[in-house]
Amino acid sequence: MMFLVRCSWLKTFVVLGSLFLVAGSLNVAGFAANEEPRTKNQEQVAVPFRPENGKFPPLDKSVAYRGELVFVDHATRRGSLRVEFKSEFFRSPPTPFAMLPYGMVRYHGAPADLRDIPLGTIMNIRAFLPPDPKNSSVVTTPNHWYPLPLENHAILIEDEPSLCLREGKTWKLKEVDLQNNQGIVLATRDSQDAAAAKDPEEKLTIDSTTRFWRGRESLSLADLVAEGTWPASGKKSLGGQSALLGLIWKPCPDGIFVRYHISDVWLDDKATQRAIQSQTEVHMSLIRSRWMPAFVDKVEYGKFGRATVTVTLFGGMDPSLYADFKKDGTGAINGAENTLKHAGGSYGPAHMASKGTILEVIKTPGVAPMGSSGIQVRFETDLIIEGIRPGRVVRIRPSGWPNVYIPREEFLGEGSKIEDRFPRPDIFPIYR
Amino acid sequence: MVASAFAANEAPGTKNKEQVAEIYRPQAGKFPDLEKAHAYRGELIFVDHANRRGSIRVAGEGMFRRNDPHPFAMLPYGIIRYHGAPADLRDIPLGTMMHVLAYLPPDPRISAVPVLPENNKEKDAGHYRGAGVFPAENHVLLIEDEASYCLREGKAWKLKEVELQSSNQGMILATLEAKQSGDGKATEQKLTFDGALRIWRGRECLTIAELIAEGAWPASGKKSLNAQSVLLGLTWKPTPDGIFQRFHISDIWLDDASIQRAAKNQTETHTALIRGRWMPAFVDTVEYGKFGRATVTVTLFGGMDPSLYADFNKDSPVLINGAENTLKHDGGHYGPGHLASRGTILGVVKTPGTAPMGSSGIQVRFETDLIIEGIRPGRVVRIHPKGWPDVVLPREEYLGDGPRQEDRFPSPAIFPKYNL
Repeated sequence: MMFLVRCSWLKTFVVLGSLFLVAGSLNVAGFAANEEPRTKNQEQVAVPFRPENGKFPPLDKSVAYRGELVFVDHATRRGSLRVEFKSEFFRSPPTPFAMLPYGMVRYHGAPADLRDIPLGTIMNIRAFLPPDPKNSSVVTTPNHWYPLPLENHAILIEDEPSLCLREGKTWKLKEVDLQNNQGIVLATRDSQDAAAAKDPEEKLTIDSTTRFWRGRESLSLADLVAEGTWPASGKKSLGGQSALLGLIWKPCPDGIFVRYHISDVWLDDKATQRAIQSQTEVHMSLIRSRWMPAFVDKVEYGKFGRATVTVTLFGGMDPSLYADFKKDGTGAINGAENTLKHAGGSYGPAHMASKGTILEVIKTPGVAPMGSSGIQVRFETDLIIEGIRPGRVVRIRPSGWPNVYIPREEFLGEGSKIEDRFPRPDIFPIYR
Repeated sequence: MVASAFAANEAPGTKNKEQVAEIYRPQAGKFPDLEKAHAYRGELIFVDHANRRGSIRVAGEGMFRRNDPHPFAMLPYGIIRYHGAPADLRDIPLGTMMHVLAYLPPDPRISAVPVLPENNKEKDAGHYRGAGVFPAENHVLLIEDEASYCLREGKAWKLKEVELQSSNQGMILATLEAKQSGDGKATEQKLTFDGALRIWRGRECLTIAELIAEGAWPASGKKSLNAQSVLLGLTWKPTPDGIFQRFHISDIWLDDASIQRAAKNQTETHTALIRGRWMPAFVDTVEYGKFGRATVTVTLFGGMDPSLYADFNKDSPVLINGAENTLKHDGGHYGPGHLASRGTILGVVKTPGTAPMGSSGIQVRFETDLIIEGIRPGRVVRIHPKGWPDVVLPREEYLGDGPRQEDRFPSPAIFPKYNL
């Protein structure tokens, strides 16, 4: 009985687009007599796609899913999501994920760090299989019997407003039904693209913790009731009012498998723009002090430790950060890990960094792949070091950014502990 | 040295024992003495909310940035407050500056965070970090943000002067003093702010640009703020110019209406959480009857909204479930109500006097026909009165069916060890 249930979930998950590998074992006995065993098998087994070091992976090879942010280890850019699947959401155990070095976090329609996202937020994710399972900071094999994705290395993780803003979608509020300061909102997520498939109508819960943002006001449900916009009790049509919604999850009574809860409602563009601006400021301040992450594309070695290094800046940041990289400007470049931790920093990241001059800033033609800014910086230094090699992650700073120290958990120590560079996945509990 | 200096008429060891300061640890089933708590503050760095533990960068006299995240665990009755209201660790944004009252681990053998030498707070951590940044007192009775601390202690920040260094960042000179009777003589502190600052006034959330447009703040340069009384939300950001420690303002509440709105929102959040997860309590006594019947007296944990306690009424039905020190339910795969013991409330008693911190001072006596191992004096339980929603719990908030030791006693091994 349990087997049948599991198969049914797996089917559901495969339909959702996963690369979850279940089919191989069914084909093993089916060789033709004149074929060498293994040949056909090898052809039939799809080679799973894994991102490669130093390259930005094609987005269409990623798997999309969503879930509730349950745990965050921001210093190593990883965490856990309660992944939505077609069954009882509450039973979905927290599933670990790690950000790819160029993986982007977005919150309130703006760039973010994992530390900025409140626990409980429903996040939309695009992820791949681990690039190198040996060095994965999260588990690479299923550790439970739920059909949860092995694509746990994220190129993008974003909250509901960010997804809607990026994809040109908006929530249309149809009806609210309130009893005792809580109730249900009936809504659809519509696309600006008329040809796009219509999302089904959803029931979302709402209560007195929901925040309504209107212009510069932060309102409560009670404020809307007092204004007469929403009813004190009973149903009222909301006439398809456009809004952006922040979603979380709360345990539902009555055996409901999945129903989300509205944490925030942005009632107008002005309110949305203010939220974007605030989060953008938070992230810009972070990147200016932690430096811009980048891939090393090329190193042209000179003499006596000199080299010209070409890097591609990672994407998804505010344009003003990229604009700070200017030809003939000075700067510094530091080795970093896939977690984006600086390789050294006990006396600040600049202490051991390679200093130099920006020779050129190049906008690569065409649309940059997700994860990349499409901006290359050519940089000459007289201190080319082991951490600055093609395919490696570095962090680079133009000289106008503040020269500050960073907190202890955001750089590697001087010791030789391998787990400093490659965090182990065993901090994540295994649920039965 | 001391061991060889006994007087001839003294039993060896007596003098030594007198000289060793008594080490205080909270005991299971009792609320600890507040005056034995060690107070410190720091930046919230990491949270494992399901196990009610995390890490904090403790502020000392030295270089704040060098202080490793210091693990802490909430005592089962430990209280979390945010925006002047009850909270859960999941509600607190990482980076928030928190005030802590904490004790040595009650039972070091089963501590969910690393156990340190009892006198660790007196040791200089070296590398310009100073003493007190890694206290062994890491089992927390109270952890609260700056606004909660000020509201509880009747304090307020008095803003003396603002200096805009660019259109959206600068410095504020302020003192922390008694809200009503402050004499302005407290030590001035420099606090930074930037474009992410949220300024709350009534139901408005304002930006720096709006305060400048109103003329309340200058577009650039300095302006006196005349000791304007406000509440602040504090975080920390790396500071240039070799400053050891300077905090950063994330939020300013300009008036009572705005902080009351923040407190109301957080109270509602926490009330909904407790109604879904049940009220935690200590078992005080169990009077055993026959055939599995018993009368149980529990003390509800403190710090919640009064409306939650008001839901426990004489003669109404109740559910009770065993729980761990992490407050995780013992069972819950089909919801905590599935394996819980049912009963009827025989009485609700407000114990006389002021309740110790951690306790509500409210005892509930109820009778059940299913007295189980998890409901014993000194144990933590969770109790659900009539009227609260009957919901299932997320997987990480209850124990599994398996006998794994770490489900009940989480290992401290998840916390990284830093070397310089």
